[in-house]
Amino acid sequence: MITEKIRAAAKELLEKGEVETVIGWERGTFWYNSTPVFISKPEQADRLVFDDFCANNLAKYLLDYRNADGKIAVFVKGCDARAITRLIQDNQVKREKVYLIGIPCTGMKEAPKTVSSQDVAGLPLLAKCQSCATPNPVIYDILLGDPVPQKEVGNRFAGVEALEAKGADEKYEHWGKLFSECIRCYACRNVCPACNCRECAFDANGLNWLGKQNNLQENQMFNMTRAMHVAGRCIECGECERVCPMGLPLMDINRKIIKDLNELFGSYDAGLNLEDRPPLGQYKLDDPEKFM
Amino acid sequence: MTQVLRAENPVSPLVPVVGKIIKIVAEKIDVKTFHVSTPEGEKPFTPAPGQLGMLSILNVGEGMFSITTQGPNHLEFSIKKTGVLTDALHEAEVGQTVAVRGPYGNGFPLDFCKGKDILFIGGGIGLAPVRSLINYAVENRGAFGNLQVIYGSRSPADLVFKEDILENWPKVPGMKVDLTVDRGDDEWKGNVGFVPAFIEQLAPSPDGDKVCVLCGPPIMIKFCLQSLAKLGFKDENIITTLEMRMKCGVGKCGRCNIGSCFVCLDGPVFTLAQLQKMPPEY
Amino acid sequence: MKTVVKSKISALLDEIAKEFNLLVPTAGDGASKFAPYTSGGQVSLDGRTLLPPKDVFFPQTEKMYKFSTDGMAGSLETLLEAPKHQMLFGVRPCDVKSIHELDHVFLTKGFVDEFYQSKRDRTFLVSIGCNGPAEPTCFCQSMGVNPQESDAVDVHLFDLGSEYGAVAKSENGEAFLQKYASFFNEAEVQLPAISEFALKPDVEGITEKLQQMFDHPLWEEVSRKCLGCGACTYLCPTCHCFDISGRVAGNQGFKFRCWDSCMFSEYTRMAGGHNPRPSKKERVRNRFLHKLQYFPERYGDLLCTGCGRCLSKCPVNMDITNIIKQIREVELA
Repeated sequence: MITEKIRAAAKELLEKGEVETVIGWERGTFWYNSTPVFISKPEQADRLVFDDFCANNLAKYLLDYRNADGKIAVFVKGCDARAITRLIQDNQVKREKVYLIGIPCTGMKEAPKTVSSQDVAGLPLLAKCQSCATPNPVIYDILLGDPVPQKEVGNRFAGVEALEAKGADEKYEHWGKLFSECIRCYACRNVCPACNCRECAFDANGLNWLGKQNNLQENQMFNMTRAMHVAGRCIECGECERVCPMGLPLMDINRKIIKDLNELFGSYDAGLNLEDRPPLGQYKLDDPEKFM
Repeated sequence: MTQVLRAENPVSPLVPVVGKIIKIVAEKIDVKTFHVSTPEGEKPFTPAPGQLGMLSILNVGEGMFSITTQGPNHLEFSIKKTGVLTDALHEAEVGQTVAVRGPYGNGFPLDFCKGKDILFIGGGIGLAPVRSLINYAVENRGAFGNLQVIYGSRSPADLVFKEDILENWPKVPGMKVDLTVDRGDDEWKGNVGFVPAFIEQLAPSPDGDKVCVLCGPPIMIKFCLQSLAKLGFKDENIITTLEMRMKCGVGKCGRCNIGSCFVCLDGPVFTLAQLQKMPPEY
Repeated sequence: MKTVVKSKISALLDEIAKEFNLLVPTAGDGASKFAPYTSGGQVSLDGRTLLPPKDVFFPQTEKMYKFSTDGMAGSLETLLEAPKHQMLFGVRPCDVKSIHELDHVFLTKGFVDEFYQSKRDRTFLVSIGCNGPAEPTCFCQSMGVNPQESDAVDVHLFDLGSEYGAVAKSENGEAFLQKYASFFNEAEVQLPAISEFALKPDVEGITEKLQQMFDHPLWEEVSRKCLGCGACTYLCPTCHCFDISGRVAGNQGFKFRCWDSCMFSEYTRMAGGHNPRPSKKERVRNRFLHKLQYFPERYGDLLCTGCGRCLSKCPVNMDITNIIKQIREVELA
């Protein structure tokens, strides 16, 4: 049903020449893999799908189209829309150069253990969707389908609070063990819609801010730098944690930073609207100076 | 257990030997030639003309350079200042310890070149790799036919290997050196113009299966190839050397591939005929 | 065939661990991988590990030599670990094939990589066969791998359900089976049928076809969704690109080599800024051409063993079997 709507919407936009490319999802390897797709001809619109496995946040791809002549259409769930709001605030994307097709989202599902079982209803929600506070797109040009009710998500900082309760040595041991596992594939950085530097400091020749050895020190340096660089701009889409091949709980770090920011500067959720500026992106005379 | 091996007897093609800079020649403002020996005053290894060496300052980094020529007891590297390592090299003084490993790569096809007339074309620092073969031909003068060097740089101040191009080579019997600069100055009496146009003006004949060995900036190479084609040089007789980022030097670390060739191992010297069969990804 | 019941394996591993530095597939907390055996520890002999065994021979970071400097003076010392004899137990046939490919790279074409060789020569390989896909993403059968049996090992174990059937594949393997004979019985065995693989890419003639496809628009198309991370290359059992870098503290330092990825922009960028593979289109193309064209041209084998790790962990489901399918569907003029 929704799939028919998104195909029709994409087809119409391309036929009328309103956009040059539509970014959406298509069926991947198996029935439980939906994967990003780029449609530029109306007749290709039938490749598009929207199902329980469209976990990829598509906002990131807009960075590849910074210099596109025409408009780019993107399908946006709640998290994708927040990410794009942030990119617009950071002047990475121009609002008038994107056409946002909103899709209310009830959450994406985990892949099943086997290919044969097709019991979608029985599959658990992805961890990143269990604590989603914005199932409906916060910014769009058209909305397909009716808004879905906001679930009760409980205290999203419960995990952070449990970690905060640990002693310093315990924390170090906890993170040390996890970061030792990191293989430094940079999937977390590359998938993150808030990581929008044209050239990452870690990729620049000759700077050597980060050694290429895989060891705890360098891995910590990478992971903490990555988290600090998206401080105040993380929209909690959870993509970093979802794509980590080693299964590292990266959202614990991102949420700790969000919690600290909230405590320092007042409650703020990145990317909810275009007007509220991020606490670290503005200066106020009454900003706390705890860190000084 | 850590097995300690003497550096002079490396266990791996990836481990260098210690060397020392014994002489530095300032070629121009951003190019210096470094003469490198072992601490005992010997040649670290004996490369064939056109082969490469990995040169490092131990606490800075290492980089692959063409070995521009060699003496009985030393290797020479002519290096332009472009990054962290080359900056450090340019600040180094005689006596500086370096490390060097090699030789890597195929080198120029000596058997193919022997007995033939050779036209050498160089642009800017691109003369450095070509010089290894020029000096080899000069030292083995009887093994080659007539030699001609066409060399150009942006300005008279940018000409490198001045002793060779102005004094040594013109004196060699059967050898001719033609120089050009993009922009002259008050003292410059020679030709002014780009290398490709100069080639067409000099119109060297491809007769007698003449070989052309050419190296310089990509844009110069592109137009020189057109000029050489006009003059009738065969693709098989046009030889050049390529530059890619390299780390291992022995075709294993992966980054210098062009198709299934590794420039560090199967190159850096290729004929135009070979390049035309490879993907244009360099 | 000699057989050993699965319930006796931990006792056998305890014995082996007295003689060898024993590495087994483990699935503790964190990703499954080959790790030193500990008695009563987490041994996972079902399925394949998430991390391939390549780091046993080609560690992600490996020190090569150390140096010290004193003003203009300096000296260096090679660091070549000569490990105790080790056993890699429970390698799946796809990963055995990958070790064969790594041997091509590190041990042939005129230069032997001693850092690799020192570990490879001292490693006794025991493989375990699969009777079908260990994961939905497996496609080893299509890449010329017999899922049930490996030959390029010392001992191979067939999975017979409640027991393993053991076959020696080398002289060392014969000696091993004799030494531990008390664990084995002699029995007539019937190998189970191999169950169906969901993914069956057809690679017949692909190298020759790709030789005509360097400039094909397909590469632009398939590379669009790639994020340019290195998850595929670091999880791949055959990817072997490396960097050489160093670390300096005061007047001491060392050089090491570490895994690198052709998917990273910095990989081919030269000191002056020129990059022969400037965008993800060129990088994705190079990765797939390396696997399916360049490596076969150079060494005669595909550089993919069908282990399926890349497509199971790719953040955007970049699927080599699908790309192979698309290559087949291309009609060349």
